[in-house]
Formats: sequence, C-alpha cells, structure tokens
Amino acid sequence: MKSRWPMFALYGVLSVASIFWLVPVATVAMISILPLDQSSKGWWHADLSTATLANYGRVWEHGLSGYTLNSLIISLLSVAITVVLGTLAAYAFARMAFRLKGTLYFLLITTMIVPVQIILIPLVPWFRTLGLNQGSAQYLGISLVHTAFGAGWALFMLIGFFSQIPDEVLESARIDGASEFQAFLRIALPLSVPGIISFVIIDFVFVWNDLLMGLTLLDSDHRPLTVGLANLQAPQLNQDDIISAGSILAILPPLILFAILNRYYVRGLFAGAVKG
Amino acid sequence: MRANSSHRAAVTPYLFVGPLFLVFALFYLWPTIATVASSAFRWGMLNPWQTQNPADWQFVGLSNYADTLNSGDFWNAALNSAIWLIVFPTLVLATSFPLAILIWNTRRGASFFRSVFVIPMTISLSAAGVIWSFIYNPDVNKGVLNAVLHVFGLDKASFVFGPLELHAGRWLSDPGILHLGFADIRLVNLFIIIPAVWAFAGFGVITFSAGLTSVPAELIDAARVDGAGRLQLVRHVVMPSLRPSILVVGVVSVIFALRTFDIVFVTTGGGPAQDSEVLAMLLWKQVFQFLDTPQGGLAAAIAVLMSVAMIVIAMPYIRATLKEQR
Repeated sequence: MKSRWPMFALYGVLSVASIFWLVPVATVAMISILPLDQSSKGWWHADLSTATLANYGRVWEHGLSGYTLNSLIISLLSVAITVVLGTLAAYAFARMAFRLKGTLYFLLITTMIVPVQIILIPLVPWFRTLGLNQGSAQYLGISLVHTAFGAGWALFMLIGFFSQIPDEVLESARIDGASEFQAFLRIALPLSVPGIISFVIIDFVFVWNDLLMGLTLLDSDHRPLTVGLANLQAPQLNQDDIISAGSILAILPPLILFAILNRYYVRGLFAGAVKG
Repeated sequence: MRANSSHRAAVTPYLFVGPLFLVFALFYLWPTIATVASSAFRWGMLNPWQTQNPADWQFVGLSNYADTLNSGDFWNAALNSAIWLIVFPTLVLATSFPLAILIWNTRRGASFFRSVFVIPMTISLSAAGVIWSFIYNPDVNKGVLNAVLHVFGLDKASFVFGPLELHAGRWLSDPGILHLGFADIRLVNLFIIIPAVWAFAGFGVITFSAGLTSVPAELIDAARVDGAGRLQLVRHVVMPSLRPSILVVGVVSVIFALRTFDIVFVTTGGGPAQDSEVLAMLLWKQVFQFLDTPQGGLAAAIAVLMSVAMIVIAMPYIRATLKEQR
C-alpha cells in the first residue's frame, strides 16, 4: 500500500508540470509544420489548415541530409565499438581476478568524471599524426574517441549486470569444457541483454547529441547534425521554419530508439546500477 | 600442463580488457598527458605543441597557470561555471525528485506522466537550446513566454528587488543581474540552465522511479502503522532507500554542469559580451577561435584546472557510489 495523497492536488501538480514540459516541444512541432508567415503571427493562433511538411523538405535539401547521415554513421560506429570492447572488459572486471585490476579499473572509470576538455586540444594534431583527419577516416577517429570517453560509463553499467550472473551458471559451462571466451559469448552475453540494451540507449543518445567533438575534430563534410543545427541558428535570417524542422529531425532518432527499447532500459536500470 | 593452464588464466583477463584499454590509452590517456605537458609551453593551434618536434618547444614553466589565474576572463568564466555547478544539479534534483514521488503515488497514468518528463532526456542540450530559443523569442508574436507575460502587461517590465535586477522579455540578451556584493550573478546563465534542466530532469525521474520500486513495501506499511505522515514517510523511509539514486543523479548532473558547452554555444555563444561564457567555452575560444595567437598553453592550463576541480568535487561522490555498488 502506498500512502494516500490528496488525489486532486497530486494530479493538479503533475498536469501543470506536464504542460510546462510539453510546451517547448509543442512550440517547435507547430512552427515546423507552419509556413513562416503563419508562425510569425504566433503559432497559437495560426490557421492549421495551412499545415505542411514543406519545411522538412527544405531543411533536408538545405544540407541536413548530409549531417544526418554523418550523425548516423558516427553514432552506430561508436556504439558498436564501445559495446564490443566494453562488454569484453566489463566481463573481465566482473568475473576474473588479475593483478592490475584495481589500477586499470580506476584509470578507465576516470573518464566518467574528468571533463572532455582535457583531451580536446591535443586530439587535433594527434588525428593528423595518425592520419585520422581526412575523409572517412574521421568517422573512425571520432568513434574511437567516443569509445575511449564512454569506457567509464560502459564499465560502470555493464559490470553490474555481469556480476549478477550466478557463479554456478558460468561454472557449469567451464566444466563442459568451454573456454572463458566461450562462456562469455554463449552464456554471459545473452543473460545481460537488458543491461547491454540500456547501455546502448545511453551511449547512442550521448554520441548522437555530441556537439563539441564533432565541431572540433571533423571537417565540414563530416560534421554531425548537432553542428548542422547550430549552423542554421542565424538571428538575422528569418528561418524559424527550417530551424524548427531541423530540430525535430535531430531529436527524432534517439527518441524513436528510446521508445522502442524503453522497456529494456527501465528493466536494465531496475536491475543495474541504481539498485546497487 | 598445469603451469600452462594457470599461465593462460593469468593472461586471459588482459585479453578481455586489452582492446578497450588500447583505445583508452591512445585516445584518452595520451591526449590527457599531452594536455598537461603542453600547458607548460607557449604555442598556438597553427603550430601546436607536439612531441615529435622538440626544437619548437618554448618552455614557460607555470606561467600559463599564473596568467590564467590572473586573468579577468578566467574568473568571469569560473564564476559562470560555478553558477552552473550549483544551480543545475540543485534544480535537477529539486524538480525530478518531487515529480518522481508524485508519479509514484498516482493510481493511474503513471507511465503517461513519466513519459512526458522522460522524453526530453533524449534531446540533446544543443537541440534543447534551439528549442528554448523559440520560447524565449523577444517578439511577443513569436515567443510563448513573452506572449503570456504580454497578456499581463509584464513583457517589458523591469524590477529591482534589493540586490536583484530583472528585465523581463530579453531572456537571452539582458535579463538582469543579481548583485551579491562579492560577485555579480548574470541572470542569463539561469535562463540557459532552465532548458538544460528541462532536458535533463527526465534522467532523474526515470532513475528515481526505478529506485522507488526497491523501497520495501513492508517498511512503508510498518511506518504507516506507526502513524508516520506522508512527509515523514518520504523523509525516513523513501529517502534512505533512494540514496544510491540521489547520488547517481547528483554526480551525473555535476559532471554535466562543468562540461557545459553545447547549450551555451547555440543559445548565446557566451554572450551578451561574456556574461554567459563558461570555462569550457573560454577554453574553446582561446584555442580554436584565435588560431594565430599563442594561447594554446593557456587553454591547456584551463583544461587542467577544470579537471582538477572536477576530481576534487566529484571524488567523494564517486567513492560513495562505488562503495554502495559493492
């Protein structure tokens, strides 16, 4: 039984808060489907029969298609590398004893705390040295930076899941002659799918939403959508219509991913770090 | 045979950890060392400090740190970052904790309300800044906030309450100042923090909601049998169970607060003048905007100072979090 709060007060407060939370999204959504001459009179008394998707078409052709593709490549590549390398490492930290464990764990976990600015400046000449500053190699370069920077998060979240697997399950696999790697691949990984999915969501959202790295490390043909959107912001040009459509395009992919996988994410949170 | 297998057992963990560590070493550890090292030299981005050409090195010792700590720009940005560090986590906790408790107490619609608050969590801070620029639009025919205030005749109102000076309407250009005597708090920072809280509070709501399911029902029943009121219940039963969640949300929002760059970049670019310039922005401008001046070492010094500050601030929290996890 939960305590009984006065229900009208409860729903009243929640409804008012919901309106505050929804107005910004509603504003952008409305401006994005209205012609400029309608939205500049105030979207709240616009003529809805003029609604159109033309703004989306225009912003797409305005260059956002390229930025969107860049964002997709960078996000998928980063998440893929981070998940593969992160699960391997997290499994070792959760299930094995080794001499440098404490030191390595501490070093990797510092990526959660230390601000990204500590690596930003030397990365530019470093990419040049490694040949990661031109063409498609830039995708790989920034993805590896995202992987390094996401290492702490990956371990923080994934170790929790791997350490919850009962000893007997992995032990029986070893008795059957499975190597440590086979036990990881066939037993530990499938059992940790909810945890891995909640990490995938967080990491995808994190990488997709990055502006600073993309702005600093990539040339203008390879920059992500966040940079493209920021470039549209020019107060002297009256282009609220395409800026709003661009914002919606930028927030949709992580939102869709979250909506599809939300169930796993919540389950992952329930089982993982938060419960301790 | 036996020696062989135990040898293999000793190597196996490193094979698992090795790949991640290699990426970490190349793209985190080495750049970090390079930042720290380059902060002792004088250089600019056009001719960056690099290990392979020691002939170009201009050693200046600690003078980059001395110059930084003596510069007004640094302290202006440090004050704004401090505002972020205090106000952002406070507002995140102050909104998401009550919301999660309220949602927890609903009979119906919990998942609807949770979605409303959680959805903006997937929105990037840069997109949140763009979205809120529409809300803040000074034109009463475009910006919702000013349109609502206009109805009450407040959209161009200016107030002075003691040390607080507030100009409604110009939220991102000149919203006013809080004079604290030792420092002038520029309110524009607050109006950039609000969208960030809007986007980030969902992380708190979802984390607290998950944490609330772990509050033992027997404990709540027992407390109610003992006659605990609603607020006592929250304070003595729910709060202790949520300690790990509060720590996670608190630490993550502190970490985000110091890193802040994106949302400032898209809303004000650090302006008006330098009123909303945070440390991350000052550093970025110094090294990437003024390529021809040798300010790289200064920027590196700022990066080191930020990291030290973050480690000092966050260490106790991280320790506590890790301990709770064990």
